[in-house]
Amino acid sequence: MLGVGASGPVGDGEAAASGPTVVRGLALPTLTERQAWALLVSIPGLGPVGFGALLRSLGSGRAILETALQRGAVGRLVAAGLNDERETFGRPVAEAIVAIAERPLPVLRAIELPGIEILTTEDAGYPRRLLEIEMPPHVIFVNGDVAAMSATHAIAIVGTRRPTEAGRRVAAQIGGAIAKTGATVVSGLAVGIDGSSHAAAAAEGGRTVAVLGSGHGRLYPKAHADLARKIVAGGGAIVSELVPDTHPSPSTFPRRNRLISGLADATIVVEAGERSGALITADWAMQQGRGCFMVPGPIDAPTSAGCLSWLRQYPGEVRIVAGIPELIEDLRLLEGAAPGPRKGMSLEAELIELGATARAVGMELVRGFGTLDELVVATDQPAATVLGALTMLELRGLAVSAYGRYRPAGRLASSGGRTATRKAILRSVRPSEPGPSAA
Amino acid sequence: MLATLLSATLVGLDGRVIRVEVDVAGGLPGFTIVGLADAALQEARERVRGAIRNAGFIHPPRRITVNLAPAEQRKAGASLDLAIALGILLGSEQVRASPERIALIGELSLGGEVRAVPGVLPMVAALARRGLRRVVVPADCIDEAGLVGGIEAVAVGTLRDAAELVRRRAGRRAVTIPPRVDLGGEPAPGGAAAGVPAVPATTVPLQLADLSEVRGQLEARRGLEIALAGGHGLLLVGPPGSGKTLLARTIPGLLPPLGDAEALAATIVASVAGDAPRALVRQAPVRAPHHTLSYAAMVGGGPRMSPGEVTLADHGVLFLDELPEFSRDVLEALRQPLEDGRVSVSRVGRATTFPARFQLVAAMNPCPCGMAGDPSGRCQCAPLLPERYTGRVSGPLRDRIDLWVTLPKVPPAALMTGVEPESSATVGARIATARTRQRRRSSGARLNGRISGRELRRICALNTIANRRAIELAEMEGLSGRGTERLLRVARTIADLAGESAVLGEHLEEAARFRSPMSRLAAREAS
Repeated sequence: MLGVGASGPVGDGEAAASGPTVVRGLALPTLTERQAWALLVSIPGLGPVGFGALLRSLGSGRAILETALQRGAVGRLVAAGLNDERETFGRPVAEAIVAIAERPLPVLRAIELPGIEILTTEDAGYPRRLLEIEMPPHVIFVNGDVAAMSATHAIAIVGTRRPTEAGRRVAAQIGGAIAKTGATVVSGLAVGIDGSSHAAAAAEGGRTVAVLGSGHGRLYPKAHADLARKIVAGGGAIVSELVPDTHPSPSTFPRRNRLISGLADATIVVEAGERSGALITADWAMQQGRGCFMVPGPIDAPTSAGCLSWLRQYPGEVRIVAGIPELIEDLRLLEGAAPGPRKGMSLEAELIELGATARAVGMELVRGFGTLDELVVATDQPAATVLGALTMLELRGLAVSAYGRYRPAGRLASSGGRTATRKAILRSVRPSEPGPSAA
Repeated sequence: MLATLLSATLVGLDGRVIRVEVDVAGGLPGFTIVGLADAALQEARERVRGAIRNAGFIHPPRRITVNLAPAEQRKAGASLDLAIALGILLGSEQVRASPERIALIGELSLGGEVRAVPGVLPMVAALARRGLRRVVVPADCIDEAGLVGGIEAVAVGTLRDAAELVRRRAGRRAVTIPPRVDLGGEPAPGGAAAGVPAVPATTVPLQLADLSEVRGQLEARRGLEIALAGGHGLLLVGPPGSGKTLLARTIPGLLPPLGDAEALAATIVASVAGDAPRALVRQAPVRAPHHTLSYAAMVGGGPRMSPGEVTLADHGVLFLDELPEFSRDVLEALRQPLEDGRVSVSRVGRATTFPARFQLVAAMNPCPCGMAGDPSGRCQCAPLLPERYTGRVSGPLRDRIDLWVTLPKVPPAALMTGVEPESSATVGARIATARTRQRRRSSGARLNGRISGRELRRICALNTIANRRAIELAEMEGLSGRGTERLLRVARTIADLAGESAVLGEHLEEAARFRSPMSRLAAREAS
C-alpha cells in the first residue's frame, strides 16, 4: 500500500530502535486520535483483534504510534498485541506500524479523501447496530449521510450476481416496498440482486446503504458508479471498512458481508445458488442474532437451491418470504416508522405525461411481456411505434433493456407488485383519451 | 526469327497490356523467359512445350527467348501462355501471319486446350484502351470479354484454333467458335492447378432464405431493414438459435439490383475472382468469410495481388458471423475500408488500391457460453463477463456500426403464433424505395450510411421539437459527438423508410433503440 506498510521502509524501524527516544516525532503531535486510528487500520494484517489488543495495552491510537517511535518498538508492539498470552500479529506487522509512525503523512493523504467521512467506534455517529456485533470495525469510511445507517429500521437484501428475471423483479419489489415504509435498505452494491434492491429503494425516494468490498477510491463494480452516485444523492450512504485505496479481492467480500448483516435488523436472501456469497451474509445475520429471510423458488432452479436448502436446514430460524405485504408484516416495519417523504412527480403524473402508447407498453412490461414481439402483439401497435415508446420509458428510467428483452425499472418495478402498478397506470388514464389496450 | 504479340495480365483489379516478344534463334536448344515473370509464368515453359507438341506442332529444338515488356513490371499468372505459344509457332515459321497486331489471352493445358483465366474483363478493357480492334480469348470467357465495347472478342477452344485464326489473317472472316461443352473429362476451368484464385476456401456459401421464414424477432427484422435501406453497419447479438444466421441469409434477397456503374465494378471484381461472369453482375454481392480467414484473404494481397473479401463485397454486404472470433488484426484491417471505401495493399515495390465500398453486417453471441440474458439465468459466464465479451469489438469498429440489435431467444410457442411475417419482396420494395430517395437527395448518390456529417445535419432538417428530443436522447445515452451522429444517421433512414422529408421525434426515438449496449450497461445493472 503506497510503498509504505508491510513491504515499506522497514529498515528505518531498526534505525529508530538504536536512536534517541523519539525519532522524527514532529509529525505525530499534529495527528488527531481519529487520524491515528485510520492510519493503523490501513495496515494489512492488523485486524480488529490485534488493534483491539493494542488499544487495551497502550490506551489510544496516538499512544500506539508514539510507542512505535521508541527504542525497541517492534518487540514492545508485539508484546502489547498479546491477547490471552497469544500473539495477535507478528514482527512484520509491528514493523509496518513503526514505518507508518515514522512517515504518517503520505499514508494519511491517501486515506483522507474529500467527501469521505471517517467514523470510529468512539464516535457518536458510529452506527449502533454495528457496535452490537462481534468485533465491529474500529474505523469505517462513509460517503453520504451517516444517519442513513442509524434509521429506526434497516433491512438487508442480498442475492446472486446472476439472477433470473423473476429474481430481479422480486428484489426490486421488496426493495421498493421496504423503502416506502421509511426503512433503510442495506446491500452490497454488487450487480444482480444487490443492484436491483438499491435501485428500487432509490427510485422510491428511500434511503439505502451500500457496503463496499473495496475502498472508496476503487469502487467496484465500476458499472455501478452511477448507482452509487444516486444512492448518495438520495440521502443514502456508501460504507467501507477498508481504506480508500484498497483493491477488491476475493477475501474482502466475505469480510464485508458481516457488515451488511450487521447494519441491518434482518437479512433477506432473494436468490442464492448452493455456494452463493449471499449465504455467508445470511450466516453472519444468524450469528449476530439478526433475522434471516429466504425467498423461495422452484425446487429445480439452481438460483434458488441455496435459499431452499437453508429453509429446510434451519426451520424456525430462517423464515420464508411469502409475499410483499406478509414480509412487511413479518419485519414489523410499520411499527414506529415514519414513511420517508416522496420526492418528485408521482408515478401516475409521469405516466400521464408520457402518453397513451408508452403507457400501454409500460403496462404490458409490468404484466411480464418482455420482447418486442410480445409487446407488439399485446399492444397491437406497429414495431416502430413500440420501439419509440420503449425509448421514452427508458428516458424516464421506467424501463431497461437487456439482451433483447425489456423489463420495468424504477417506480414501475418497485411500486409494490403488479397489482399496485397496474392500478397506478389505470388511475393515470384520463377519461378524455384512449386508455391502454387492457383498460 | 522474332515474333511480337500482345497479351495482358492483372495487377489488382486492373488489366495491363504486355508485349510478348519471342525470338527463336540458332544455338543450343533452350527456353528462357525474361521480364519479371512469377512462378506460374515460369512454368508456362512446360505448358507451352506440351501444348505445342500435343496440338500437332513441333516444339523447335532451338534457342527460344521470351521477353515480356514492360520489363520493370512484375507479371503473374497464366494469361500469357497462348501468346507465348503462338509466338513460338510464328518465330519458327510453323504459322505464317501478317504483321497485323494480334492480342491473345489464355492459359494452355498440356493437351493444347485454351483454358479460362481470371480477370478477362479488365484485361480486354485494357487492350481496348490501347486501341486494339480484336482479341482472342478462351471460349469460357467470351461472355465477359463481350461486355467491353469497341473491341471484338473471338473465342478459341484450342491452340490449333488460335493458330488457324491467325493464319487466316484474322479479320476478313471472323470465326467465332462457340464455347466448348464440357463433357466432364476435362478439369473444370479455373481449377486449383491453374492458379486461379477462384473463391477462397474460407468462404461459407450463404444459402438464400426469405424473410417470411423468420418468425418473430421483430426488432432484428426492423434493424436489418433499416441497415440495408441506409447502408449502415449492423451488429446482431443473440444466443445460438435465435436466428442471426437465418436473417443474414435473407440479405441477398433484400438488396435491390445494382445500378449500371456499380454493376460494371461488380462484374470486374467477379471476373478477377475467377467467376467468369456471363453478363453484367446485377446482384449485389454478399460475402460471408469464415472467422479463420487470414489478413491477406480479408484485405487482398498474396503473390498476385488478388482482391480480398472486402473487395469481393464491394457494393454489397460483408457478413461476419461470430465477430469476436475473427483475429484482431483482421478486424483492425476493416477500419480503412469502412472509412474510405477502399483498401490499400502495399508490398515492397508494389502498391495497389482496391475498392471496398461494402456494408458491414456482423453477428455474435452475447457471451462466450451464449446464454446471457436467458430469463432462466442459465448463463454460466462470470458476472459482467458478457459485457467484456461485447467489449471485444474494438472501438474503431464499434464506431462504424450504426445499429446494434440484441435478439432474445424465441420461445417455441412464439414460433407457432404471432404476427404473420412479411416476405422479402415486401420489405425489399421498401428498402429499394428508401434507397432511391437517398440517392436522389445526396450529392454523390450516397446512402445515409456513407454521407458526410455536414450533409447529414442538413438533410435531417430537424425542427425545434425534434432537435430538443435529439439532445435529450444524446444526454441520456451520454453520447459523444460521433454517437449523436450515428443516432441522426439511423433516424434519417427511418424517416426515409417512412417517406418523410424531415426527421421527426418519433424517428429519433426509434433510432435510439439501436445503439450500442455498452452505454446501456450502467442503466441496466442499476435497476
